[in-house]
Amino acid sequence: MATGHEHWHERGEIYALGALDGQELKEFEAHLASGCSICEAYLHETCETLAVLHRSLRPEAPPLAIKARIMDQIAPQTMTHPRQERAGWLNWNWWGLGIGAVATAAVALVLSSNLTRTQSDLEKAKQQLAAAQVESAQKDDLLQLLSSPDIRLIELKGLEAAPAASAKLIWNPVARSGILLTNGLPKTPTDKAYELWGIAGTEPIPAGVFRVNDQGQARFRMPVLGQGKTFDKFAVTLEPAAGVEQPSGPMVLLGTL
Amino acid sequence: MPADQTIAVNLIQKVANQDRDAFGQLYDRFSSLVFALAMRMLRVRSDAEDLLQEVFVQIWRQAQSYSVQRGSPEAWIVNIARSRAIDKIRSIRRMEKSFVLTDDPARAESGENVESSAAESEARMAMNSALANLPETQRKVLELAYFDGLTQTEIANRLAEPLGTIKTRMRSGIQRLRDMLGTQAV
Repeated sequence: MATGHEHWHERGEIYALGALDGQELKEFEAHLASGCSICEAYLHETCETLAVLHRSLRPEAPPLAIKARIMDQIAPQTMTHPRQERAGWLNWNWWGLGIGAVATAAVALVLSSNLTRTQSDLEKAKQQLAAAQVESAQKDDLLQLLSSPDIRLIELKGLEAAPAASAKLIWNPVARSGILLTNGLPKTPTDKAYELWGIAGTEPIPAGVFRVNDQGQARFRMPVLGQGKTFDKFAVTLEPAAGVEQPSGPMVLLGTL
Repeated sequence: MPADQTIAVNLIQKVANQDRDAFGQLYDRFSSLVFALAMRMLRVRSDAEDLLQEVFVQIWRQAQSYSVQRGSPEAWIVNIARSRAIDKIRSIRRMEKSFVLTDDPARAESGENVESSAAESEARMAMNSALANLPETQRKVLELAYFDGLTQTEIANRLAEPLGTIKTRMRSGIQRLRDMLGTQAV
C-alpha cells in the first residue's frame, strides 16, 4: 500500500537489520523521533519478519549458574518494603500495654529479621563492589596496556599439528605483556592445556597456560615476562594442564615479530 | 495474539512490578534463544554468557517500558540482545582497527570466519524453509548485518560490491521473507 513513506520504509528496513549508517541513520532516527507512527509501525513489523533469522538458530541452553548470578544481581532492588513496616510500627496503640508488649516483641522480631537481612544484603553488596573494583582494575590495566604507542600486533599461524588454527598476539614490549586471541585451535584435552611461549633467540620462556572453548577460541591475558630477554618469536604448544618449564608437546602456533 | 505471546506479555507486566518468580519464568522461556543468538554473534562463550546476563538485568530494570504496541515480547528481547551484541562487536572492531596492519590480515581472517560460520549454519537453515529459499546473495547480506553487526557500508566493502547493490539485496531479502511468511507490510 502506498503511504508516501516509501523513502523512509527503505531506510527503516535497513535500520531494523542494524545496518543503516552515516547520514541516513541520523536522518531516519530524527524522523522516528518526530513521532511518525506509520514508520514506527513499519519498523516493528519488519523486526517481527526478521525474527525468522534468529529462529533459524538452534536454541542453546546457557549454564545454570548464569540464572543464579542474574537472580543474585537483581536481588538488592527487591529486598525490602521498609515504609510499610515502619508505618505499622508508628500506628502502635499506646492504650493497650499488654498488646503493646506483644507488639513490641513482634516489632523487635521484625527489626531483628530486617537487620539480619540488611546485613546479608550489605555483605552481598560489598562482594559485588569488590568484584566490580577488581573488574575495573583489570579494565584499567587492559586499557593501559593497549593504549601504549609501543603496541605490536603479531600474527601466529597454525602449524602441522593444528593447520586451521590462528591467533593474534597484542604485545606490549615495554610492559612485557600482552593479550593472545586464538581461533580454531583443537579442543583442549582434559589433562592438557595450551602454553604460550616467548622465544628469545632459541630460548623459550613460559608465558602462561590457557584452555580454549568449543570453537577453539581463547582470550588470554599473559603474565608479565621477566626482564633481560628480547623476544622475537611467540609460540603455543600443547602441554600437561599445569604447564611446563620447557616445551615438550607439539607446537601448534608460531608467529614472528 | 497467540497464547504463548499472551503469557510472555503477562510475565513482562509482572516483572515490571518486580516479581522475581515471573522474571525466572521469563528467563526460562527466552534464555536459550538469547544465548544462541549471543553465541552466533559474539562467538566466544564467555562473552555470550556476559551478554545474556546484561540482557536479562536490563529486562528486569526496563520491563515497565515494554508495551505490546512496541512489538512482541520476543522481538523486544531480541532487539535488546542484538543492540548490546552489536555494540560489543563494533567496539571490538574499532579496537582491532587501531592495530590492523596495512595488508589487513585480521580482516581477511574474519572474512573466512564468516564464510565458515555460514557453512556451519547450513544444516539449521535447511530446517527453515523461509531462509533456505532465499537466494544466497540476499541471505548473505542479511546474515552479515543481522548476526555479524556489519553496517551497509561495511558489507559493501567486505563483498566489494556497490552500496546500492547491497541495499537492494537487503530490501529484496526482507520482502521475500515477508512474502514467504505471509506478513503484511504497513
